Amino acid sequence: MFDFDATLPLMAIQFVLLTFLLNAVLFKPILKIIDERDEYVRTNQADAKAYLAETEALAKQYEQELADSRRQAQAMIAAAQAEAKETVAKQIADAQAQAQQQREQSQKALDEQKRDAFKSLEQQVDSLSQGILDKLLGSQAA
Amino acid sequence: MKMLSLLHFDVLPLAKLEVGHHFYWHLGGLKLHGQVFLTSWVVIGLLLVASLLATRNPQRVPQGLQNLMEYVFEFIRDIAKAQLGEKEYRAWLPFVGTLFLFIFVSNWSGALLPWRVIEIPGGELAAPTGDINTTVALALLTSLAYFYAGFKKRGLGYFAKYVEPTPILLPIAILEDFTKPLSLSFRLFGNILADELVVAVLVLLVPLFIPLPVMMLGLFTSAIQALVFATLAAAYIHEALEGHGEEEAH
Repeated sequence: MFDFDATLPLMAIQFVLLTFLLNAVLFKPILKIIDERDEYVRTNQADAKAYLAETEALAKQYEQELADSRRQAQAMIAAAQAEAKETVAKQIADAQAQAQQQREQSQKALDEQKRDAFKSLEQQVDSLSQGILDKLLGSQAA
Repeated sequence: MKMLSLLHFDVLPLAKLEVGHHFYWHLGGLKLHGQVFLTSWVVIGLLLVASLLATRNPQRVPQGLQNLMEYVFEFIRDIAKAQLGEKEYRAWLPFVGTLFLFIFVSNWSGALLPWRVIEIPGGELAAPTGDINTTVALALLTSLAYFYAGFKKRGLGYFAKYVEPTPILLPIAILEDFTKPLSLSFRLFGNILADELVVAVLVLLVPLFIPLPVMMLGLFTSAIQALVFATLAAAYIHEALEGHGEEEAH
């Protein structure tokens, strides 16, 4: 069971050879693969982080722009409403003024016609009363 | 081992117990345990083929074998990092990782592959880590590794750790350098061999179903032993790198 012989040194040499062989065909290549993968993952992660930051900046910018245009739109709506109100008020005022004027005109025309009518009525009253007088007095006079 | 060889029954060829028999190879007057090398080559082949297939066509999103090997790699890296710290672990990762992978695959090959079906002229095929030569080789390499780490980092100042914090502990400090490889190798060897023996004895007694829980337990201890060996090796290296006096905050 415990018979030592040349197996021992030869096994040791064989093992040392195996160590170098495995280092060449297993440990070094696998370490290289793992390092490369780590590198790949790290660069990808860095890229992704950069993209994420860029995206966030863009989103922020868009939000800013959106808020700006919303404010602008609000201002425009307010301006338009004010303008419309002004126009409406002006038109109402114009229309009222026109109506007033027309009313005054027609009032004036009415007054004139009334005066004319009174005048002609007075004349007719005069001539009628003259006629009546003539008829009454004329028969006396006749 | 005479007692165990009494259990030779040829009725069940799968349940034969052979301990201390080896398939000897002779190489210029040197004796080698052939069965240990055969199985270790299978283990090494498995590891290399799996590694090559996993890294042959690397994908950014790992799939299949690449995913598995990356998982294994990260597991090993965590062991090394936990023991050696962020700064030092990279240089020792191949050693600690190879220790873990070789021991783990060896142990599991012993538990999962039906080695014993293959007939060889002497002894039987089993996990390479069930042979004391393998485990002592790994343990001595660990010792060499931590001495190397200590001397490389701190030069001759490495010897200062033997008399720090007090020279009274010098004998114990020296003794540690012997007990470390001894405990490392015997722990692994004992666990794997004992597991194989227990399973073999149980299979011999009750061939069906009853050995299954013990086999599961064997898988569990095998994995734990691989983890323990690699973790301890990394811890020893860390100790040599840090020394006693200049503890740094991790």
